[in-house]
Amino acid sequence: MVRRKNAFCYLMVAPMLALVLVLGVYPMLQTLGMSVVQYDLMRIAREGTPFVGLENFRQIAAEPRFWIAFRNTLVFVAIVVGCVVALGLFVAQVLNMDFRGRGILRSLILVPWVTPPVVSSAIWIWMYMADRSPINQVLMSLGLLDAPIRFLTDASKVWGPFSVPMGAVSSVRIWNGLPFVTVMLLAGLQSIPHEVYEAAEIDGASGIARFRYITLPMLGPVLSVLVTLLAIGGIGHFEMNYIMTLGGPNDLTNVLSVLAYQSAFTFYRFDLGAAISAIILLSTGTVAAFYIRAQLRGTGAG
Amino acid sequence: MSMRMQSATMPWQSRRMRRAATSLIAALFMAGVLVFVLMPFYWMLKSSFQTNKEILAMPPIWFPRTFSLEAYEKAMKVIPFTRYIVNSLFTAMATTLISTSLAAMGAYALARYRFPGDTLILVVVMFTQLIPAITRLFPIYFTLKGLGLLNSYQGLIIAYTSFSLPYAALILRGYFQGSYPLELEEAALIDGCGYFSAFLRIVLPISIPGIIAVATFAFLGAWNDFLWSSILLTRGEMKTIQVGIRDFMGEFGAVQRANAFMASCVMTTVPAVILFRIAQKYMVQGISAGAIKG
Repeated sequence: MVRRKNAFCYLMVAPMLALVLVLGVYPMLQTLGMSVVQYDLMRIAREGTPFVGLENFRQIAAEPRFWIAFRNTLVFVAIVVGCVVALGLFVAQVLNMDFRGRGILRSLILVPWVTPPVVSSAIWIWMYMADRSPINQVLMSLGLLDAPIRFLTDASKVWGPFSVPMGAVSSVRIWNGLPFVTVMLLAGLQSIPHEVYEAAEIDGASGIARFRYITLPMLGPVLSVLVTLLAIGGIGHFEMNYIMTLGGPNDLTNVLSVLAYQSAFTFYRFDLGAAISAIILLSTGTVAAFYIRAQLRGTGAG
Repeated sequence: MSMRMQSATMPWQSRRMRRAATSLIAALFMAGVLVFVLMPFYWMLKSSFQTNKEILAMPPIWFPRTFSLEAYEKAMKVIPFTRYIVNSLFTAMATTLISTSLAAMGAYALARYRFPGDTLILVVVMFTQLIPAITRLFPIYFTLKGLGLLNSYQGLIIAYTSFSLPYAALILRGYFQGSYPLELEEAALIDGCGYFSAFLRIVLPISIPGIIAVATFAFLGAWNDFLWSSILLTRGEMKTIQVGIRDFMGEFGAVQRANAFMASCVMTTVPAVILFRIAQKYMVQGISAGAIKG
């Protein structure tokens, strides 16, 4: 009986596992392999792919562009995760209250979720065109602005790792990510029993105190899952930064994934691209390992 | 609203006023968030219905004066729109079929039975799902190139399956775990039903809502992809709609085509939104079906 059950399970899992290994695990290992050989498409015909040890890592570490992209990635993740979680907490709290029109509001908030990243970028590129931006128009007619903001091209004002284009691109990612965060947090809020709040209200706890001492701690598990997922996704984020600005101007919005992609497909240095990808793999892999361990413990499957 | 004695330190009026003020601020802020969320859609839609003359106006015109479909006609001409849509539809549907069916089988075994190595397999799937695609991009590109699968449907479907399969498997595992009691299969097995027919005849039919929801997400993932299709497709007629829109952007530079550009965005988003609405319904059904039986 046990043997038949095991045979059944392996048969069921086998096709999926085979594909996950061939299309997931093996390419990741190949990327690691590629990062320690010379894989320069301009020289590959003559020189092949000789082993060069950590030479590729030395080369990218010597490049200022890499460190700019590295810092930008961290800033991008920090801005996006911070803002999207804060906004999501607020929206989820509102949607968790009883009022008329709540259903419509919920559906409306979800719309950016299914908007393709290319389309999201496209709409915002259009809205960010300095001369024809509705945002500039409103701000200028309110007298808050003298000259239009050049959202995606202004490289004149840079505050450390932060700049206008960085803010503009991050906003689009926040816009796109808000629905997912809201849905997760709303599910978390709905799992908190009403009685807890009622008891707190009877004890005279203020709204802020209830949020601080009940909502936040009880949302703890959902929040940590969310922050982990967003951080991993943010470290590897590609689409918006590539489509909206190609990492520019002056690399102000360049992030690791975009730099890796450009190294490979623009400069044919797949070795350097692989080295950057390897760094992404190791950093997200470490976070993922902790996350998976926590998840398995939580469900008692480990 | 309950008034209590201990509010002596704080007169009830001021408390009530503070509450009203908080609600007002919250409502205003929520309105702001709503503008942030919806404004881009409005801007896309209104731009797509504007004429060339209106789109060139400066400052921009917020409400189209004439409702025009000329942008949609133009969009179909600037890029081979129909062909791109067909490419996207076909590859996304094939990906959905492959990844959902393989994921359903694998997820079922992982969700309902314990067997040697199950945790390890789960960890591998989770890991693959979490790690960003850029870490697999170059090797898969060279493998597909070596197989002569650049600019082909097969190549694209293989690449899409690499991310949609682990994703579908993890969601379905959760669904199979939570939706019905363990006794379901036990009863079937005692009745002389084999493992496989228990899965096929009993579990699958009642899991259709969950499977449809997962299939929709798999479809949307493939439909929305840009990263993979941007490297695997170089020839015009094989491109997907996402790459097509990106090309449009390169050519559009000038503002003259912004209305056609937005029209192509509308046509790309509409199928996704419709599908998502359908999936939402099934997701609710899936949850309630699980609740009734659990």
